[in-house]
Amino acid sequence: MTFIKTWAFATLAVAALAGTSAAQAAETKGGVTDDIGVLAIPKGAPIQFGGYWVMSGADSALGIDAKRGVEIAFKDHGGMLLGHPLKLNVEDDLCNAEGGQTAATKLAANPNTAIVLGSACSSAATPAAPILWKAGISDIGTADTAPSLTAPDRKPEYDGFMRTCYSDIDQGAADSKYLYDVLKARKVVTIHDGSPYAQQLALVMADNFKKMGGTVLSVEAVAPTDVDMHPVLTRIATEKPDVIYAPIFVAAGAQLLRQSKEIPGLEKVPLIGSSGQMAPDMIEAARASIVGYRITYPDLSPEAMGKGYPKFVEDYKKAYGEAPISGYHANAYDAAELAMKGIEKVAKTDASGTTYIGRKALRDALRATTFEGVSGPIKCDAYGECAQFKPAVYEFTNGDPKTYKIGDNPKKIWP
Amino acid sequence: MRRPNPEDAPAGRTWIPRLSSLARFTFVDVILWALRIGVVFVVVGGTIGTLLKGRYDAAQWFDFLVFGLTIGSVYALIALGYTMVYGVLRLINFAHGDIMMTGAFAGYYVASEFAEDGLLDRSPVLAMVVILTAAVAVSTTIAVLTERIAYRPFRHVRGFAPLICAIGVSFFLEQTFRGALGASIRAYPDPKWQHAMIKVFGFGVPRVEALVVVAAIVSMIVLYLVVQRTRMGTAMRAVSEDTDAAAMMGIDVNKVVVFTFALGGIMAGIAGVCYAFVFKQVYFFMGFTPGIKAFGAAVLGGIGSVPGAMLGGFFLGLVESIGPALFLDGIGITAPYQLRDLIAFTLLIMVLIFRPYGILGERMAKKRA
Repeated sequence: MTFIKTWAFATLAVAALAGTSAAQAAETKGGVTDDIGVLAIPKGAPIQFGGYWVMSGADSALGIDAKRGVEIAFKDHGGMLLGHPLKLNVEDDLCNAEGGQTAATKLAANPNTAIVLGSACSSAATPAAPILWKAGISDIGTADTAPSLTAPDRKPEYDGFMRTCYSDIDQGAADSKYLYDVLKARKVVTIHDGSPYAQQLALVMADNFKKMGGTVLSVEAVAPTDVDMHPVLTRIATEKPDVIYAPIFVAAGAQLLRQSKEIPGLEKVPLIGSSGQMAPDMIEAARASIVGYRITYPDLSPEAMGKGYPKFVEDYKKAYGEAPISGYHANAYDAAELAMKGIEKVAKTDASGTTYIGRKALRDALRATTFEGVSGPIKCDAYGECAQFKPAVYEFTNGDPKTYKIGDNPKKIWP
Repeated sequence: MRRPNPEDAPAGRTWIPRLSSLARFTFVDVILWALRIGVVFVVVGGTIGTLLKGRYDAAQWFDFLVFGLTIGSVYALIALGYTMVYGVLRLINFAHGDIMMTGAFAGYYVASEFAEDGLLDRSPVLAMVVILTAAVAVSTTIAVLTERIAYRPFRHVRGFAPLICAIGVSFFLEQTFRGALGASIRAYPDPKWQHAMIKVFGFGVPRVEALVVVAAIVSMIVLYLVVQRTRMGTAMRAVSEDTDAAAMMGIDVNKVVVFTFALGGIMAGIAGVCYAFVFKQVYFFMGFTPGIKAFGAAVLGGIGSVPGAMLGGFFLGLVESIGPALFLDGIGITAPYQLRDLIAFTLLIMVLIFRPYGILGERMAKKRA
């Protein structure tokens, strides 16, 4: 009997806990009522934005570029919003799940975090977005493109997540078209590194490739820290593919690229990478072997971007003394822009100068906001997908990292 | 009278359970035996399956062998540092992988300088000797400094403090290099002569890989001779048998410890350059994974045993390279190389179940007991 009682009690306790975490109690502050909570910002206090990107390691260009995009957006607003200064608290998510979890926990622990921007890596956003939403904080992704994050069947704990970058469903479809129609490949091997981004992109590409009539010989995997790719490449050589598709990150990607040229049977087989490798570090890590290497990427030429993009690039160069170092600065700018527009819509300031922001109202307002961003039109669907995708293929032309400039090295070769 | 020692049980105690002990066959034994049979099944069944399929030709098997020997010799060189320090101090020097990283970085700056002015192509032998010297000098200096500053104050502390200190040193070295030199990946130069193929048993092997294997084997032989044939080596062995007795016999233990760290540092420097010329990339965190694997190799060979570390390193490298293709392809597992570390470490555990002191560790362990 006690046994049953204990169990019943435990079940109830778990149910109660689950209930509180899924929907926090409604709250009223300064005349603003919200289902999951209200943030009050006293007069003169900053509106705090959280940010989490990869700020160190081989993939740091991705994160630093995004952070700069947000900083420029703040600057364009004069650093102020509704009479409060804007503040960006950045955490390094290391582009992995553990880092994302730590970063989100830190940002969620700050009761004054109004909204969070990031990540640049799906691996980090996958554990982070639920932690943030549990604290009632909306999260706008800037370069985390894994399809699952905005899939119609995503779990309710992702309800607070949206992104101003495309989904890899579109990237994967475009990539399969490039491999099949342009490279005339019929047999492909894919390689992923176990990250949600690479795994899902490789899967979507393979599915589309099969639908077009191609054959996927095998789905290989390496670890992001692997250095010896010779054995796996030797295995791939026995399958005689027309092309190898490896949408992975810089360190392992550069090893694959360099070592694939040393394997008998693979000397002439093109290796195609993707957006995780658009960084000067990729050239630094691969050096001479990078010449002729192609990666698929969103189209960053001015005609494919929003109207404000050329001015944005000028501002970027002026502020940081170099051309954009990765490809998702415009998405990050638009994420910040979207966040500010959403806050402006729902925030109420009382006579004492205190601003109140309803957390659920903010999420709803963000989803309903549409505008012409510097990366293109921003308009969210019901699952938080707010951007459109325009595909392109870039080819590296020089093995000197100093020559890195998106558009020249690597230069756009398709469409 | 001497108490009976369970270690003195008849040989073969772990191999086949005697009938009289069947009654005491516990749940854990059943699991362990199931595990052993499972692994044997995968290894034998997979091997037969793979060979029947005939997916790989002789040249490809030979390539797997060479790749395994190459990475294995790097593991072996690093493992030597772990094993010698453990033998002398009973300390697991977790920073050892990072000491290899410092050597690789030092070599990188010299190598890129040489690549720029063409020396690396004009006179490869001279260039490689200078690169190696620079790497060894830096890694040895750092290894010795680490001992002096971080480990010596803890030498007589019992418990986990020295181990935690070693982990701290590892973080310190990583973050110092990251702070000073940046977090980005750098690539070692790639001179043409390293790619030239040489013929071994009728198969082509890139010169750089042959060079790494030969360099590793030569340095290990030299190290073995130093440990076995010199006065200092004898002192090292004496300290590792019994520190107090060695001190009473007039051996300067401090000197021996410094010498041990210096030897480990030299091997790490050579390993760093070998690693970086094959895998090209150097960055602040590069020492971590090979360090952990080399530690596994040292344990596998029998920690404290110099030939054991070499054997363990080569074993781990070969299993990583050949294992997935040989064992897993045959039983139809897709993407076998994803499971590379799993296979390597499962076999490591298996060896340790059969031989708890490692491949060559038992003799020494018994003597000390």
